[in-house]
Amino acid sequence: MTHESPTGRGSSGRNVALVARREYAERVRSRAFVFSTLLMVGLAVVIALIPLAFRVVERATVTPIAVAAPDAELANRTIAILDAFLNASMDGSGDRHRPFTFELVGSPAAAVSAVGDARVAGAVLADRTAGGGLDFRVVTIGGLAQDKLQLLQLGTFSVGVLDWTAANPNTTNPFVPPTFAVVDAGAASAGGGGSAVDTAEYASRRIVGIVFVVLLFLTLVFYGMWVASGVVAEKASRVMELLISAATASQLVAGKILGIGLAGLTQVTLVLVPALAMMVVSGQLGNAMLGEDVTAATSLAGLSPGLVVAFLVYFILGFALYAAMYAGAGSLLSRAEDLQIIALPLSIPAIAGYLPAVLALSGSNAPIIRFASYVPLWSPFVMMARLSIGRVEPWELVLSLGLLLLTVPLVTLLAIRVYRAGVLLYGQPPTVRTFVRAVRGG
Amino acid sequence: MAAAGRAAMLDAQMSLVVDHLSKRFGSVTALDDLAFEVPLGQVFGFLGANGAGKTTTMRIALGVLEPDAGRVTWRGTESHRLPRSTWGYLPEERGLYPRMRVLDQLVFFAGLQGVPTGRAKREAMAWLRRFRAEDLAERRAEQLSKGNQQKVQFIAATLHDPQVLLMDEPFTGLDPVNVMLLREAFLELRDRGRTVVFSTHQMEVAEALCESVAIVDRGRMVVGGSLRDVRRATGRRMVRIAVEGDHRLPWLASLPGTRVIQAGMDRSTVELDVGVEPDEVLAAAVGAGARVRHFEVADPSLEQIFLDFVGHPADEEAHLVPETPSPREEDAA
Repeated sequence: MTHESPTGRGSSGRNVALVARREYAERVRSRAFVFSTLLMVGLAVVIALIPLAFRVVERATVTPIAVAAPDAELANRTIAILDAFLNASMDGSGDRHRPFTFELVGSPAAAVSAVGDARVAGAVLADRTAGGGLDFRVVTIGGLAQDKLQLLQLGTFSVGVLDWTAANPNTTNPFVPPTFAVVDAGAASAGGGGSAVDTAEYASRRIVGIVFVVLLFLTLVFYGMWVASGVVAEKASRVMELLISAATASQLVAGKILGIGLAGLTQVTLVLVPALAMMVVSGQLGNAMLGEDVTAATSLAGLSPGLVVAFLVYFILGFALYAAMYAGAGSLLSRAEDLQIIALPLSIPAIAGYLPAVLALSGSNAPIIRFASYVPLWSPFVMMARLSIGRVEPWELVLSLGLLLLTVPLVTLLAIRVYRAGVLLYGQPPTVRTFVRAVRGG
Repeated sequence: MAAAGRAAMLDAQMSLVVDHLSKRFGSVTALDDLAFEVPLGQVFGFLGANGAGKTTTMRIALGVLEPDAGRVTWRGTESHRLPRSTWGYLPEERGLYPRMRVLDQLVFFAGLQGVPTGRAKREAMAWLRRFRAEDLAERRAEQLSKGNQQKVQFIAATLHDPQVLLMDEPFTGLDPVNVMLLREAFLELRDRGRTVVFSTHQMEVAEALCESVAIVDRGRMVVGGSLRDVRRATGRRMVRIAVEGDHRLPWLASLPGTRVIQAGMDRSTVELDVGVEPDEVLAAAVGAGARVRHFEVADPSLEQIFLDFVGHPADEEAHLVPETPSPREEDAA
């Protein structure tokens, strides 16, 4: 291998900073950066507005509910309270759109039949239990979203309270909370009480997880290609000959990774900050326009500061790992046209990590998924997915980060070795033999 | 003898020494036990055809390539132990950042060599003025002509005031005015005590500038030393003569051991075999009634020396042994 000539030993850091600053300035001033950032900001803001759009669309819809009870008093009380509760105008502004309608039916069978005929979105079947409490079952065939089921559960709880108050004017008997179950008439399965809230939280975590995993995948591959194309451009313009005589290979590789990584982080920040701000603003805007919605905040509920920190850590380490590979591979090319030769092979590890991450986001915690979350090339995606869903033991996180921290310098050293030999090679596209010779310092 | 040995050792400690370098790229031998010395503070010509191993030698000196055997030392220290700022390198393949402003590039490259921004800017502007190219400072490299890009690269290689300048084919592609400016710059750097090594296959440039040269062929040293020693090494003697009338000098036929190697209207060059004295040529001319306008005893030109030692002109590609390399290897060599 070749020697790393001293540059005046203390100047290594300064040279890395100089190279990084040049790379950063060149990237963020380029038209491609400005246009791609504007495009991504636009897209992110549009995506951030989707929950508000859903609320606006939902506002215009009416959900018919059939109600059946063993006695007319309970049936009327249920309808009255659910109507008051579910159609209430939260800000007291008076006349508003009523999202639910209630229809009294004669028997539970008639109510279930109405659900089966799709005349109503769901049926609330009220009954009295032996202990003096109330039992509610909501029958639906996928016609009620989790947020509506959640509202129904809260509404039926109020029915239970009022019914208990009416039946116990002296309040000597203890209050028996009403039971609540959801029966999916299609799947003929019942969910337990309280599951709706967990599911909403889970859905939010999935959304946040998907955003993080997709963002990591795109940025690592996209910014990795920036590194490779930067190296190839320096070779193609032959400025590399001047560079390599002025700074060491390790300074050049480290500076390039740092500069482009910071440019990438700048772009991610420029895209995420307005998107998150828009989500907050649109939530408040929605509340102002459409009234308070107890379920509206859940889109951000899964986003914790810990997850943001984890994203940053995995972005930085993952980018360092992938960028080093892209720098090494790029150094073996001579022309920008040859970049396609490395684009697919280098994206394969990322794709191979993305797939188990998607499985992890769908709730799988199979051994192979857990294993993938420790493997350095895949852990940024898979562990981020698992962290978003929230099924990670502390030791797993330590193992995943530890392996990644060990791998980054090893791969970077290998990449520098390849780079040092590769930047002097011109001519035909690289072969495996060329790569092996470069690794050996040929 | 002991004193001579000490002097030689001192010389080696004070100069750039290419010490028996060998380097192979796969099956191609780029350098084969190449050895020569560059005296301190001289302009030194590193002469050879394309593919002779000049670039490989420079890259080894810079620490960019590792030799298979041998080493390069500067004032007794191995090159890879020296700070990079010891060297100023103008690569044969010219290149700059196409979209970066000239002044920014110069400050950037000087910065990598440890020159503070303010000083780099001042000296870059001074060099640009010197090359009559001040107006280039704010322009992007892609807007410059090749000759101007070359000047900027030369400044980039020089701005940090290196001890040794390694210039790979610096005169290629320059117009006569810029050749003159660059030659003056070389001489000024030499006068400031810097050692300038440049490779070229343009023998007349080397002849005009160098105090010492090394001629390499296929990675091997052919001949080297001071220009005078190299000229004498051929053992050839010449005269240059101008006469009125037939410049092919037909009267020379009466003088054995002489031949015209270059016939010109202005003057002709005659080569003499060992044993033939220059004044015999003059006597033959006078004897034949030729009217002699100019007569000079001359050394062989570098071009002729190169031909004698290498067997082909310097601007002809060297054929590397033992087999034709792949384009990748050839380029690296």
